[in-house]
Amino acid sequence: MNLSFKHIAPFLVTGQNKISRWLGYAGLGIGILLLLCSIQMFVNINQLLKSRDPKKTGYDYISLTKTIRNENMAADHSFTDADMADLKKQPFIDDVAAFHSNKFVMKANGGATLPFETDLFLESIDDRFIDTVPPSFAWKEGQVALPIIISSDYLELYNTVFAPSRDLPPFSEKTISSLVIAIDCYGLGETQRFRGNVVALSDRINTVVVPESFITWANDHFAHITGINPNKLYIKTRDANNPELLSYLQQKDYHINRDKTRFGRIKQILQAIVSGLAGFGVLVILLAMVLFSFYLQLMIARSRENLQLLLTIGYSPHWLSKTVARKWIPVYVAVMAGALLMTALLQLGFQYVIMHGREELSPSIHWLVGTVAVVVLLLSVAINNRLVKKLLYRL
Amino acid sequence: MQIRLQQVSPDFIEEEKITGSQVWRSDLVFHPGEKVKIIAPSGSGKTSLMHFLYGLRKDYSGDIFYAAENIRTLDAESFSAYRSRSVSIVFQDLRLFMSQTVLLNLEVKRQLNPFHTESKIAEMANRLGIGSKLNKPVSTCSYGEQQRIAIIRALQQPYEFLLLDEPFSHLDDNNRRLAMDLLEEETSLRKASMILADLKPNDFFKPDRSLNL
Repeated sequence: MNLSFKHIAPFLVTGQNKISRWLGYAGLGIGILLLLCSIQMFVNINQLLKSRDPKKTGYDYISLTKTIRNENMAADHSFTDADMADLKKQPFIDDVAAFHSNKFVMKANGGATLPFETDLFLESIDDRFIDTVPPSFAWKEGQVALPIIISSDYLELYNTVFAPSRDLPPFSEKTISSLVIAIDCYGLGETQRFRGNVVALSDRINTVVVPESFITWANDHFAHITGINPNKLYIKTRDANNPELLSYLQQKDYHINRDKTRFGRIKQILQAIVSGLAGFGVLVILLAMVLFSFYLQLMIARSRENLQLLLTIGYSPHWLSKTVARKWIPVYVAVMAGALLMTALLQLGFQYVIMHGREELSPSIHWLVGTVAVVVLLLSVAINNRLVKKLLYRL
Repeated sequence: MQIRLQQVSPDFIEEEKITGSQVWRSDLVFHPGEKVKIIAPSGSGKTSLMHFLYGLRKDYSGDIFYAAENIRTLDAESFSAYRSRSVSIVFQDLRLFMSQTVLLNLEVKRQLNPFHTESKIAEMANRLGIGSKLNKPVSTCSYGEQQRIAIIRALQQPYEFLLLDEPFSHLDDNNRRLAMDLLEEETSLRKASMILADLKPNDFFKPDRSLNL
């Protein structure tokens, strides 16, 4: 059969329904544009916020506690083994370790060189989580020397705030390691003195850390406490701004340093807005498809007698439905190409006008946008074909 | 191809009309190249028979076969293949696209499975006296002219069987003869069979067989 649509076109009554047809096309175009722009913006947000991260090639380390509120102050805020196992299971968390702290009274004094005395706390964590671990950072029972790692922020605070107020000399990173601090431990009627010595400064850990073996031994020795659940954890993740990580932590009601995940929060909000827009786009596409299907149904109902007669004189229902449905393929392709072009122009404008100089942002549309456009096009054509076929076979 | 009727009788016709019929509830075979006249008074089911043979209706008992194929089991797609290749028809109610031109009505059938070139349409139309109507809408033609359009349309495709349901009812003798000549010529050209159903016998159609419905 060497037939085409033009042979049967005069028998299809389409004329009086132009408004609903054009509304259908326009709705489809707007819906697809919304969807494609949303996807492109989603990609843009990811690219922009990812590259803001100063440690994008490394890991982020975040300390984690259970949120304490007025209403749950009396509750247990420690992490159970199950909590930790669940954290380890998450794909966006690479490692988890517990902080353990002293459960007995400790005091420190600086002696003659550093005239101060203070109550003290110490914590320990697995060495793999500490960025600076010298070989001397080890302790075994009977050892009086206690290696300590402190946050470099503490040294900075001492040098810039504490020392000038007391008229004391500042310390360099090297000189502080020569300083010996007397650490007295009290518990179960016993007092024992250790010689504390700062063996390293850490940019990562914001506390005072001693070897885990010391905390374990001392808690047992001065308080008879062993194997208790930690109140604080440290997690290692590739991206602290990963919205999935944030959602998980929010859902578990875990407290974290909000500054570390600031971009993640912005990203989360922007992604939610863009997802909402994409959802709206899908809704508009669906409405347009419904409107268009009404138009098709009306057209076929109006052409019913003619189409029936074409079938009666020998036209194949399969050919007829295929040919009638195909008539709209160029329309769908044009609508899709228009939406794609518009998205590309908007992206170009976004890159050159709003995000000028941000080289991490591509001026062209992402491949995902093109893929979605093709998928929506194929879906629209398939739905249209199916609808026409169904209506024609019903004649 | 042959068309075979096996004990066919319409579900809606009175029993006495069926018992006196040479067609209903009989075993009949219409052979290739055969000319058959079916004489049927009003109300005897002539149009129904034509519709059964063309596959438009199925409200009958018994079976009708196109060659070995029981047409009751054919789907719409298979019917369309038969209707564009093997079986053509002139309906009693003509079934034309009334708002379209005469030429478009004929072309839409010719394009489906062309047996003739486009120029043949004008030749046939001139021969039956409707050449001047080709570019006019069918709705402006008289019933007699419409009958001739329906006849020419049926001849635009190849066929093995041509079913004619009172095709000349609104034609005068001269036009009947002209139309009959054209139908016979085209049917001979295809070595096809013709089944003509009419109210009464006529002298210008010489069938190989006449059957009373």
